[in-house]
Amino acid sequence: MSRVIGIDLGTTNSCVAVIENGQPTVIPNAGGYKTTPSMFGISQDGKRLVGHLAKRQAITNARNTIFASKRLIGRRFDDPEVQKSIDLCPYEIVRGPNDDPRIKIGGKTFTCPEIAGIVLREMKRVAEEYLSETVQEAVITVPAYFNDAQRQCTKDAGKIAGLEVLRIINEPTAAALAYGMNRTGDEKIAVYDLGGGTFDISILEMSDGVVEVLATSGNTFLGGEDLDRRIVQHLVEWFQDEASLDLRGDTMALQRLKDAAEKAKCDLSLRDAVEINLPFIASDADGPRHLNYELTREKLEELVGDIVEGTLKSVEQCLVDAGVTAAEVDQVVLVGGQTRMPLVQRRVTEFFGKRPHKGVNPDEVVALGAAVQAAMLLDNNNDMLLLDVTPLSLGIGTYGGHFARLIERNTTVPVSKGHVFTTTRDDQSAVKIRVLQGESDIAAENDLLGEFVLSGIRPAPKGEPEIEVSFDIDANGIVSVSARDLATGKEQSITVSSTGKLSDAEIEQIIQEHDLYEVQLKG
Amino acid sequence: MACPIAIASGHDPTQLRLSAAEGYLLSRIDGRTPWRLLREIGGIPAADVDACLERWLDQGIVEVVGGGAAGGRPAAVDAASAPPVVTTTIPIDASLLDPALDIDCTVQRRILEFELSLSRPYHELLGVPAGADPKAVKRAYFKLSKEFHPDRYFRREIGPFAQRLERIFKKVLEAHEILSDPDLRQVANQSEAAVAEAVDVVRSETAPSSATGASDSGPSSSGAAHPVAASTNPASVPSATTGARPSGASTTAKGEPPATSAQSVSSEGPEPASVAPAKVDARTQERLSKLERLKQRMPFKIDQTALAARRARAREIFQAAEASLSAGRFNEAEASIRIAITFDPSRAEYKEALGALRIRAAGDRAAKLLETPSDRMSAAELRDVLDLIEDVLPYRPHDAELNLRAAKVCLQLGRHDEAVEYVETLLETDPDRASHHSLLGRIELARGDGAAARRAFEKALSIDREDLDARRSLASMRIAAHDAARGGRR
Repeated sequence: MSRVIGIDLGTTNSCVAVIENGQPTVIPNAGGYKTTPSMFGISQDGKRLVGHLAKRQAITNARNTIFASKRLIGRRFDDPEVQKSIDLCPYEIVRGPNDDPRIKIGGKTFTCPEIAGIVLREMKRVAEEYLSETVQEAVITVPAYFNDAQRQCTKDAGKIAGLEVLRIINEPTAAALAYGMNRTGDEKIAVYDLGGGTFDISILEMSDGVVEVLATSGNTFLGGEDLDRRIVQHLVEWFQDEASLDLRGDTMALQRLKDAAEKAKCDLSLRDAVEINLPFIASDADGPRHLNYELTREKLEELVGDIVEGTLKSVEQCLVDAGVTAAEVDQVVLVGGQTRMPLVQRRVTEFFGKRPHKGVNPDEVVALGAAVQAAMLLDNNNDMLLLDVTPLSLGIGTYGGHFARLIERNTTVPVSKGHVFTTTRDDQSAVKIRVLQGESDIAAENDLLGEFVLSGIRPAPKGEPEIEVSFDIDANGIVSVSARDLATGKEQSITVSSTGKLSDAEIEQIIQEHDLYEVQLKG
Repeated sequence: MACPIAIASGHDPTQLRLSAAEGYLLSRIDGRTPWRLLREIGGIPAADVDACLERWLDQGIVEVVGGGAAGGRPAAVDAASAPPVVTTTIPIDASLLDPALDIDCTVQRRILEFELSLSRPYHELLGVPAGADPKAVKRAYFKLSKEFHPDRYFRREIGPFAQRLERIFKKVLEAHEILSDPDLRQVANQSEAAVAEAVDVVRSETAPSSATGASDSGPSSSGAAHPVAASTNPASVPSATTGARPSGASTTAKGEPPATSAQSVSSEGPEPASVAPAKVDARTQERLSKLERLKQRMPFKIDQTALAARRARAREIFQAAEASLSAGRFNEAEASIRIAITFDPSRAEYKEALGALRIRAAGDRAAKLLETPSDRMSAAELRDVLDLIEDVLPYRPHDAELNLRAAKVCLQLGRHDEAVEYVETLLETDPDRASHHSLLGRIELARGDGAAARRAFEKALSIDREDLDARRSLASMRIAAHDAARGGRR
């Protein structure tokens, strides 16, 4: 049996791990780096570049280099977050036939699962080179707040990469697994995950190898890149004041600023001040202009302080959901490169009243946890168990546009819940069951996962027929919904497959296309 | 060993206030049927038979024929008076074990056993004491999760056990969810108590005469409570959904119904049947805490008024059934009783009445059957009659008339072995009737066993010197023997 890898498919960087000699180990890529940028580009001469190669040419080829596509995956084109990305990203985002956002670079349009698939394929390759054997199965992590569509698209990405995805698990949960491996005793832990593009907080309880997710919460559109953007914004404004030049329309300058901001941010975790030197950033009638700015840690903290405070709001909410007080948390695990920032560490320490756990590498812990989960599933002698939860509430739309929850978020899976509904009109012969996911009480504000009609209800005054709607989530997170007329026993059901995702045929076509491409490259 | 039970002389059983079940049991007491057999044919669990008989013995209503005071009850099955419902060893269907699966047979056995006991109260399911603290509940939950979570057998070929594990885990999860929340736990306890109480009420209504009976049936009453209390879906508690509907709760419709409906069917979403009326204001609803929502979905929400309404309706229908019964319209009565049962399935009386009715109907048919003497029937008719008797007999296994008729018909049809069986049943319950012995003699004769026939006839004559049948037969046997002897000499 070939080995199963764990992949942390990150917004900015991805990481792959495998269990070696009973210990989860991160696999370095050919360049010796333990993480690989989640970037994909097409060079001027038509070459497809992934990872570090793509990142290296990003500045000179910004329009044809895709980054942070994880922010788009599984969303609809009209989603405000997608619209925000359109404004911010140098590459072109277009509307796909399924109303999904697609990215156009090098004259070709790519779907988001396809791009994620390219990155996953690269991670698979890294693992195969290291292990000297083919790898076919993986556990992939996603932010806890990913909805069903986003998870489904990530699964499709795995398929495109030629991987069978055993399980999609939440990043903070994975981190907790890596942390909790080989630990005994009862502990309540908080995983604070501030990555490149997302913020997640989870409260877990572990005891004797069983890890139970008590609650999870977060924000899919908040992360390290928002901090970078604040710095870029500040630099642009400062430069406008200083040199009366607006850099906003200059994609190449923006890309250079972005890189410099990220580097300065990282350096400020260790130092109190850094020089940002960008010669020839722009030019005007007076000739070339240079950007020269000293950024202090104090200034940085002033720029991004509210973002960090925002994360703590989510933490508070999550503690309430879990029914745990900050003081009851035994251990805080920090995940994501952004948690290296002294401000974050300070605020988290203040919030929980204890120093965060130091034993794990925030960049690698998620991938390690994914590998642990893979081993947990496949190794019969493994004594660990993850009790995972459903991230968002599930229910149906009811009369008046309301949302009736049947399965509350943070409910441990597998689970089944049912409820009896009735008709709203006399002699109503059919009802439409609209399966929704989300936290709003207004049906329209939640995501529609699927719908079906139960017909053949015997004529009766409104409110009389009894229609039992049951939700079932199995251990793999597959949702199925059934509706049964209790009077006639007539039943209708669906297994939810998200709308807008790729069909099997489309996936097959993409795989073939990429196989073809690989052959071309080698030939 | 066989010690028949009889109604004590001087007692008029019709004066006793008995439930239908007890009445039926009493009707089986005929001075011939032994205790052991009563357990099997009493129509109620063996333990209940024992309890009833003990009680009646104490009260002097019944007595053991020819035996001492303590001789009646066979000791072998004494253990049966222990709680019959949930014991630690649950008999599982061993045919469900499949050694071909990628899961150990002992584990399979454990899964099957656990699955059969899912209806226990939550704390028993988790194996913690009734008032266990949240920490102990959590530990037990983790332990069982480690054992039964489907992920433990990920990708392994475990066939139908995958679904079993899922069922078990969901139940364990539910138990943990309820027990770890003090409020939900309280609701659950109350409902469990309410259900138990309801069952007790039914029990005491059906058996008002004795406190012993009620306490004896304690364990089985908690067993009966579970199909209601332990159902995963609140919807499957009929009482929770009927009559509890807040009509027009969400009729103040704001927002438009879903626009996209190509179907010609009416496409409005269904209205929640028992979701809180608070739906009116979305903002308020948003504040509705997790606890509140959970409470609403509690499987234990038993609407007592709705329950009472259903019970009353069931009683009405049952009374109608009794009226049809006394008018002799059995089919109608049976239909009515069935409806009554659907309205109030917890009430054992109705089910017993249904059983009694079937027996009575069988008796009725049997009586009609016996009107025509069988000697005038054709072979086909005889076979029909035998079929009918075999239908009826399970309900009245000791009916002398039926057994007698069956024996005669079998004799006529030449099915001698069966005929002998019927006669032997007759003789078991009534060994001192000459006519039965002479019938046996006739059968043996037809079978060609002269010696056995002679013994039977002689026995008949020893009981009744005047038994015509036996005398004639013996005489003709003697003549036949005489003729044979003479013929032989010739």
